[in-house]
Amino acid sequence: MEETILRMKGIQKWFVGINALNNVDFELKRGEVRALIGENGAGKSTLMKILLGIHQPDGGEIEFLGKPAHFREPKDALNAGISMIHQEISLIPGMDVAENIWLGREDRFSKGGLIDTRSRYQETAKLLESLGIHVDPKKKVAGLSVAMMQLVELARAVSYNSQLIIMDEPTSALTAEEIELLYTIVRKLTKQGVTTVFISHKIEEIFTICTSVTVLRDGQMISTVPLDGRLSTDELIQMIVGRDVSHAFVKREVEIGDVVFEAKNFTSEGVFRDVSFQIRAGEIVGFSGLMGAGRSEIARAIFGIDRHTSGSLYMNGREIHNANPRQAIRNGIGMVTEDRLRMGAIYTMSVKHNTTIANLFRMTKLGLVRGKMENDDFAKVSKELAIKYAREKDLIKSLSGGNQQKAILARWLLTKPKLLILDEPTRGIDIGAKMEIYNLINSLAESGMAIMFISSEMPEILSLCDRTYVVRNGRLVHEADRAHTTQELLGEYAFGLHEAKK
Amino acid sequence: MHLAFMRLRSEVLTGKGKETMKKEEKSAWIQTILMGNKALFIVLALGIFLTIASPAFLSSRNLLNVVRQVCVSTLLSIGFTFALAGGYIDLSIGTLMGLCGMILGKLVVEARMPLVPAILIVLVIAVIGGLLNASIISVFSVPAFVVTLATQSIFKGANYLISDLVPISGLPESLLFLGQGYLFGIPVPIYIMLAIVLIAWVLMNRTKFGRYVLAVGGNAEAARAAGISIRQINYGVYIICGLCAGIASVIMTGRVGSAQVSAGVGMEMDAIAAVVIGGTSMNGGNANVFGTLFGCLLVGIVNNGMNLLSIDTNWQVIAKGVLILFAVVIDVVSARAQARRLNRQAQAGR
Repeated sequence: MEETILRMKGIQKWFVGINALNNVDFELKRGEVRALIGENGAGKSTLMKILLGIHQPDGGEIEFLGKPAHFREPKDALNAGISMIHQEISLIPGMDVAENIWLGREDRFSKGGLIDTRSRYQETAKLLESLGIHVDPKKKVAGLSVAMMQLVELARAVSYNSQLIIMDEPTSALTAEEIELLYTIVRKLTKQGVTTVFISHKIEEIFTICTSVTVLRDGQMISTVPLDGRLSTDELIQMIVGRDVSHAFVKREVEIGDVVFEAKNFTSEGVFRDVSFQIRAGEIVGFSGLMGAGRSEIARAIFGIDRHTSGSLYMNGREIHNANPRQAIRNGIGMVTEDRLRMGAIYTMSVKHNTTIANLFRMTKLGLVRGKMENDDFAKVSKELAIKYAREKDLIKSLSGGNQQKAILARWLLTKPKLLILDEPTRGIDIGAKMEIYNLINSLAESGMAIMFISSEMPEILSLCDRTYVVRNGRLVHEADRAHTTQELLGEYAFGLHEAKK
Repeated sequence: MHLAFMRLRSEVLTGKGKETMKKEEKSAWIQTILMGNKALFIVLALGIFLTIASPAFLSSRNLLNVVRQVCVSTLLSIGFTFALAGGYIDLSIGTLMGLCGMILGKLVVEARMPLVPAILIVLVIAVIGGLLNASIISVFSVPAFVVTLATQSIFKGANYLISDLVPISGLPESLLFLGQGYLFGIPVPIYIMLAIVLIAWVLMNRTKFGRYVLAVGGNAEAARAAGISIRQINYGVYIICGLCAGIASVIMTGRVGSAQVSAGVGMEMDAIAAVVIGGTSMNGGNANVFGTLFGCLLVGIVNNGMNLLSIDTNWQVIAKGVLILFAVVIDVVSARAQARRLNRQAQAGR
């Protein structure tokens, strides 16, 4: 029974300068339901995509059912007995249920070169029946609910006789009833010796259905624990978000000044609502909460990247309008965006040009860039932040993740903002660079800057912020000052447990 | 694959890697120089080959002729360089030039307008052509490729309409001078071309505008988040394309001695070949203005060389296609090699 069916050893994966997976070991036993949990960017999906052959690893070994398994594409993994059900539905809407399930395997119903649709429908009906999924095999997929589509995908995975089924947040679109049905099917499969991996953000769900949990953080394997009743919710949350930061960083007390920035009833219909808060000079205000709770969306709208529908913003008491980042910058705001690859670094440009780009409009004379001014500014700020680079002409992508992030930070420091928005500024960078960035943020606060600090890492929030808001479902649901902020409290509000308690 | 990685890591750890890194850095440096100026090196190599194969090649008359011939395509290619650098493309540049040339002919011959105001009007029309492209791309967020493919046909049709498919000859001396004249023994178009190339280089490498074009071409979303107005850059790039087409039309008309109905048709292909082989990537985010000049010279020398070696002109058409493929493949291969090198550097640098 205790047969190990999957062994991934020392898995390494790099994405342009970012260590997405660092020496990760991952093993699965037959018939277990494993939860794979961690913050976004922790490496869960990357690990599974490597297993399926969507990504190729930069190092490490994979063994499936006792044989080396380095798949070149998902089809190979599927044939070997591994299926993955993605968050995005991968069925073809114009085809019916039976056609979708047997897509690519029409040969088995072939009769003289034609497809015997009757036997295909029969086979499909039998399969669905055995799983307890009630849907007509002749029904077009386009007419199904999202939940039913997901179950059809599951049926397809089963039809491949998969030994291992990976589900990426399978319940996020399902109702309570549908979730129950999914659980029943998973339990049935488990009895037949199928192993399941649940990639999930839902703590509650993990305790209901999974038999063990693996926690990943920052591309590192944190731990794998059996779920036999000994692990508490709090302990699990701590494993997901926290590391021991007691030794690492000590916040220096800063004198808090006047209100610099204020948002009043800031709303973007359907995204976030009635967001009102103030940030004072020298104050670091944390925004905690889950991914997708609306933290980044609020910040992006403040900075003019996205639009908002109502509400107002004030800088030093004067109302400001940020229709685009250009105006936001001129109104004294800087923002280190969450997704460095997509929204931050310009990879075709040098370190120097990346650093000076946002402030370039202040460094020109008749449209010409004032070379000396640019060089001086870059030299000063790169020294201040200890950015490590070989030559300033080197492309920014030749730097490590931490140094790339420091260059982006430097970009905003050059614009001398009154409010600096930092969205997950330490994601994906190593612990040393993290500490440097914490200290830098601290010094910026000391110099009187107001700082909006968004982070999924609670220890970071706890050690750095003077005040913290918890964002949930697009609203600020909780505010606490430094003395009254605890990890448990932030977790409770973020996961919505306070609502359940009521 | 993981073995290679383990080796690399152990090399770094033992210090043995340092030497390999240095060697690698040196070869990378050579690679960068070679790749950054590949058009220049190919021009030199080809020049040496042609000198041996056909003594007529190296005569100053022939060389000046080659440069004179590429002036028009260089002007177009300069505009094209800005388009590619910003992550756009302009396939309408050739037929816009043809349309402008025809309008110029109409103005100076049929309307008997003096040359200077006629040229100014043509330049304004050329800029409006560019603005048409930019505004459709910007307002409707349509891919530049499709928009300029459509306007290419529109400009061509407009040319046919106003010309009634009849070329205009009998151009004034002053216009012929711009296309055929000599100043201090050097053809006038060469002065104009060199001036535009220099201005373009400064614009691309020394101004805020140029930096913004490169930023938008490199990562438009990140550029916007850094406070750059993508719309402004889009308009700027196509205004430059239009201006270049306008200036090119003046020289073209002067050189040919008449406004031709088919002038400029297909010249965007020459531009693609020249710009990409000159070191400007198809993917946007970088630009090599002098590379574009050498790329144009290369295309010119290939044509000239084939003429000197009396190779069938039909082969020249095929040669141009091969040249484009060659340029694009080199572009992709060198980008991939660079990416691999950077990845290794970042890994070792941690």
